[in-house]
Amino acid sequence: MLLRLDSLQRHFGGVKAVDGVSLEIDKGSIFGLIGPNGAGKTTLVNVVTGYVRTQSGQAFLEKDHLTGLPPHRIAGLGIARTFQNIRLFPDLSALENVMIGMHTRLRDDTVVQLATLPFLRRDQRARVNDAHRLMETVGLDASEVGKRSAGELPYGDQRRLEIARALALSPRLLILDEPAAGMNPTEKQGMRELIERLNRDGLTILLIDHDMRLVMGVCRQVAVLNFGRKIADGDPEAVSADATVIKAYLGTGGEKEVAHAPGTIEVNQLQRAAQVRSSRVVEPEKALLDVQDMWVSYGAINAVRGVSLRVGAGEVVALIGANGAGKSTILNALSGLVPIASGTAVFGNLDLTNAKPSTIVARGLVQVPEGREILGRQTVLENLELATWSRRDRVAARREVEAIMGRFPILGERRALRASTLSGGERQLLAIARGLLARPKLLLLDEPSLGLAPQMVDEVFAAIAEIHRDGTTILLVEQNALRALGIADRAYVLETGQIQLTGGGQDLLHNPAVRQAYLGG
Amino acid sequence: MDFILQLVTDPVAFYQTHTVLIAQVGINSILASSMFLVLYSGQLSLAAPGFMAIGAYTAVLMGLYWNTPLAVNILGGTLLAGAVGLLVGLPVLRLRGVFLAIATIGFIEALTEGVILNLPITGEGLGLKNPSADPLTGINLILISVAAVIFIVWRLTRGRLGRAWAAIRQDELAALSQGIHVARYKMIAFVLSALLAGFAGGLESHLNFYVDPNEYGVTRTVQVLTFAVLGGAGNVLGPVVGALFLTSLPEIVRIPSFDPRDVISGVILIVVIIFRPQGIVGRGGLAIIRPRWWPRPNRASSAAQAG
Repeated sequence: MLLRLDSLQRHFGGVKAVDGVSLEIDKGSIFGLIGPNGAGKTTLVNVVTGYVRTQSGQAFLEKDHLTGLPPHRIAGLGIARTFQNIRLFPDLSALENVMIGMHTRLRDDTVVQLATLPFLRRDQRARVNDAHRLMETVGLDASEVGKRSAGELPYGDQRRLEIARALALSPRLLILDEPAAGMNPTEKQGMRELIERLNRDGLTILLIDHDMRLVMGVCRQVAVLNFGRKIADGDPEAVSADATVIKAYLGTGGEKEVAHAPGTIEVNQLQRAAQVRSSRVVEPEKALLDVQDMWVSYGAINAVRGVSLRVGAGEVVALIGANGAGKSTILNALSGLVPIASGTAVFGNLDLTNAKPSTIVARGLVQVPEGREILGRQTVLENLELATWSRRDRVAARREVEAIMGRFPILGERRALRASTLSGGERQLLAIARGLLARPKLLLLDEPSLGLAPQMVDEVFAAIAEIHRDGTTILLVEQNALRALGIADRAYVLETGQIQLTGGGQDLLHNPAVRQAYLGG
Repeated sequence: MDFILQLVTDPVAFYQTHTVLIAQVGINSILASSMFLVLYSGQLSLAAPGFMAIGAYTAVLMGLYWNTPLAVNILGGTLLAGAVGLLVGLPVLRLRGVFLAIATIGFIEALTEGVILNLPITGEGLGLKNPSADPLTGINLILISVAAVIFIVWRLTRGRLGRAWAAIRQDELAALSQGIHVARYKMIAFVLSALLAGFAGGLESHLNFYVDPNEYGVTRTVQVLTFAVLGGAGNVLGPVVGALFLTSLPEIVRIPSFDPRDVISGVILIVVIIFRPQGIVGRGGLAIIRPRWWPRPNRASSAAQAG
């Protein structure tokens, strides 16, 4: 056994980011660590690598005690890692990046450097050759890439270079934090082959990724985290069939549906009622929002690749898919926060491809952002009043604020409190209320249930249903697929930036392909 | 323009007429190298003039009271500056970026206002007379020192130590993940920087008959920082070129009854920041003045030197 974690614990305030996790990773294995967004995977890695102190519990690398050691000591003991959002030394050359990785293996050469002794040049050349060999190992052309600044390399090469740098430590354990994030299928395949090759050469790897196909494909052992706890571990087949895992990934419906997984779900009363309500399952002819073949990229990454979708007036349309599928990017592109690379997007008669964010909001396309960016130091009332600051008629604006607090009574009760003292769900309600004050024709909701406890999710979704009844059109992005499909008229299932499926909310609820999009089955 | 003309046509006469200026350029170059070391390791420390003051006062006082030879005085000032650097660095290096800058300015103020201006032995606000000063004989020592300092700093940045500094400057968290003891390497850079500044102070005290406490205040800090911004902090030659340029500027442009130095250096600084943010020299070092026909080292050997 190489790495042993014994009930590690790390809380941030009231949030249990890592809550008593125990793991054992065998020497020579590829171990997968998965879990929905915010499950605590990266925090666990940060605890193991010493970036975040553990509050209780212990970690061992073979016989070495890791708990309480600073990060550089842990790296020196032989745990190398890559970062979720690449952390190369961007202005240094690729070669220098890899050579920095050799730091712990090399003796100090200050005297040698000062003396500039010729015979030591040979020694240096050997190191450069070492670095070149490592770059070749991860599939980089050392003679071509070596002298270029790391920050200038294409995205995929940067990921590979970060792995080469980690390998330069000659680690006993390599931790890869989302190595395939933002890659297209071909690049992902390449990454998968690289991981398998490194493992065949005897390296133990801890792999964290959202791409289930990758994790389930290469790992012999998988552990699943949710809300900081380990909810399952075992071989990939067992884990992907585990009911609690499916629930953690697809989310839960209302209280009554909790026990059921999609595919095996019984049509209960709640859903039957919903089915009666939503009869429309095809795209509307006349759309309020009409998106055709939209592409969005961040630098070299194509986050959204040719998406077409329509939202008709009065509809609730859900956009679901696993983390990193491009859901939030679509919303940000529609709001004008991220440029649309190609394709068309029309809202009413406004061309969204080159409209300013302020114009888009003024025309009635309003986004409630993920992470609910409320002003924590302002009171609830001040937060709401700020949303009406551009109105001329202050009296009417005042009345509207009062009305919205009538609709969300909890906000009325907390009106004088600082927004930072609200719970997660209350903040979400505040963000939605603020969005409504902008008088939206179309409300874009980005992950309204993210990080909320189940009861709060109920409350938030009840509010969304109510807003819809009042006639607001909604485009909803959700990871909690069951919940979103429960209230949506129609839905689009997104996978790596492309729409894989579309249909009525209820149809998709029972479609096994949805589960596949999340769990990779 | 006489200045440049003379430099080109009659270097010997130039050397003789501008000895004091050349000495000052040399001292500022050492100071610039001191600034370079902290910047290269990602620390915005502005403490150099403080350590310079320690070096200057210590050297002069040693000469006055113990009658020790010049070399010993300068060495004493240098070592004391380094020791104070270690003590100051322990608490201060926990800070980053602009907070470190403010803390180091605080150190300078505490040193001059609190210590130097209040101790009878340092002459309080009046400064310290240095009867053994000799503006002309020190020049050779200074020129040799400058060459040595630049060489040492340049070699340091090329080895394992320099790579660790560069890594810390670029991303401290990533540097930790490569097993680099970030706190230790920052301290090494900070103490080396203090040593160099103390050394520059000791040399400077030998040039002037008078050690003036006002020389080592925040104004000097800004001047030294300007050397680095103008020349660039990616290569030790950057700050040195900045020092060379800004120190000789008042001689190059001479207008009677008007000192254009601040105006001109301000304008040049703005132009450089806008059009060449990496500084005049940038990362390439001498490559910027290397003519096209000059044989370039091939990739493998230049990489080997980098290692």
